[in-house]
Amino acid sequence: MSEKAIQSALGGIGRKPTVWEILTSERYFKWTLLIPLIIVLAVFMLYPLFYCLYYSFHQYGMQGNPIFVGADNYRQLLRDKSFLEALGRTAKVLVICVVSELLIGLGLGMLWSREFPGERVVRGLALLPLLVAPLILSLLWNFMFEYDFGAVNMLLSALGLNKVYWWAPERALYTICFITIWQWFPFSTFVLVAGLRSLPKDVFEAARVDGASNWYVFRRLTLPMLSPLIMIIVVLRTMWLIRLFDPLYGTTRGGVGTELLDWIVYRTAFVYFDIGYGSTMAIFSLLLTIALCAVMFKFLIRALGGNR
Amino acid sequence: MSTLKPWGKLLFWLITVVVLFVIVGPLVWIYLTAFKSANDIFTTDVRKLVFFKPTMENFHRLFSDYPFWNNFLNTVIVSAISTILVLLVSVPAAYSFARWNTGQGHLLFTTISTRMFPAVVAAIPFFMMYRKAGLLDTHLGLILLYTYFNTSFATFLLYGFFKDIPEELEYAAMVDGYSRVDIFRKVVLPLARPGIVVTTVFCLIWSWNEFLYAFLFTRSTARTVTVLISSFWGSIEVQYGPMAAGAAIVILPTLFVAWFMQRYIIRGLTFGAVKG
Repeated sequence: MSEKAIQSALGGIGRKPTVWEILTSERYFKWTLLIPLIIVLAVFMLYPLFYCLYYSFHQYGMQGNPIFVGADNYRQLLRDKSFLEALGRTAKVLVICVVSELLIGLGLGMLWSREFPGERVVRGLALLPLLVAPLILSLLWNFMFEYDFGAVNMLLSALGLNKVYWWAPERALYTICFITIWQWFPFSTFVLVAGLRSLPKDVFEAARVDGASNWYVFRRLTLPMLSPLIMIIVVLRTMWLIRLFDPLYGTTRGGVGTELLDWIVYRTAFVYFDIGYGSTMAIFSLLLTIALCAVMFKFLIRALGGNR
Repeated sequence: MSTLKPWGKLLFWLITVVVLFVIVGPLVWIYLTAFKSANDIFTTDVRKLVFFKPTMENFHRLFSDYPFWNNFLNTVIVSAISTILVLLVSVPAAYSFARWNTGQGHLLFTTISTRMFPAVVAAIPFFMMYRKAGLLDTHLGLILLYTYFNTSFATFLLYGFFKDIPEELEYAAMVDGYSRVDIFRKVVLPLARPGIVVTTVFCLIWSWNEFLYAFLFTRSTARTVTVLISSFWGSIEVQYGPMAAGAAIVILPTLFVAWFMQRYIIRGLTFGAVKG
């Protein structure tokens, strides 16, 4: 930048300005404030992204030098049965968790959206699992689902029911879904409570006067007005569910048919030390997340369109 | 509530109590287990779920056989320092975005998108770099990763709070002859204090709870307490007692925060999109 530009930025003081004066001048202050952020983004976002991309075209096992292999890793990925299975499983977990959380959220949201005594206590207790470490909660549930001494089976047998092998191969993935839903349904519930409470009352009264049925009001008024919030829930939960890791570590460690996307990347890169192929998987899962989120953001913006 | 008929009221409370039991029951279970002797943990007697002779055995073992306090302190250090760093980066950036829309939204979007990245994408290159730089199993290494991990979220949450501050106040200060720096320090920051407090607490909690990076990047010196607790499961003999005792201590601060911050939890988790 020229001397003149700086002078005019400072309003023409008539001497050489100090660095501090330039940084805090009307013109540059807004960029000065961003310097630390830009450094963080460059170091922690661009650098890893670049290196991950670099490794993804190489064969590298932590020893020696990376060997360039072109798109071989990507070709291998598309034929890798265990990777594709993990991908399918991740999709399954995503659908099961998002749909159940939304349905439970809608039900409880409707229930708790009215004012009631003890509201603060109910909300305070229900929100607890959201801030507790997911790893610790999954260890806890792992213990609760233990066959012999687990609280769940003990309660089942006290009720005269059969004990269940919760970590059997055909069931373990659903058990993990249960743990995830258990931790996160309060999230959708209270987002929807907030939404329901902000809805305009007069519209609903008018519908009542016109003799609309409960179901009609719910489908034609409540749901459309909640759709922006439902989209927020779907987008955020999808983002977090794609990289589900802690509940796997705390329970099955990827065994008994529960290996998900992030777990297989972890295993490839940090257990088998195949950095090149692991990076390819990581890049693939990044692209997948971006694609999914881009599609959903489009819907989100359309849903928000009316009231923003 | 008043519009409900008596049986409706009954149904309302029945569902509410059942739901709360399902949520709170497992958390109570951690605390019950923490005070049980090994015999009472490994019993199939249903009454022993709740009625047993409490003992401090698990806590004693946790403190004497394992470096619990040491790892606990690591978690405190790493969470606290990374949170300070995050604030130093995010507070000015969020103000710049909120006040001038610097970068026409593109830069802000890029910042948010780092939160969408799978954690493993950063983990692989950083593992390689840390190995070369000798940052594996150090506090600094983990602090830097947590700073990255929380910056995007903190910036976006603070952006919402700064947006709520009326510009007129800044104009008034300008008329009084305040410089940009003075306005930022003496007008904007005090007004944004509630937002900064909320953001701080969220960053602390997220670093406190983080597992994947801590697990990959620390072994002994800088090992965090969550990684220690995770090691009780999966070895030859599962240490349920110390595991429950450790978990009981570690989640205590989060439980307090969750209770007192309930107004802000939804706002924080939705990046400020839902005011709750």
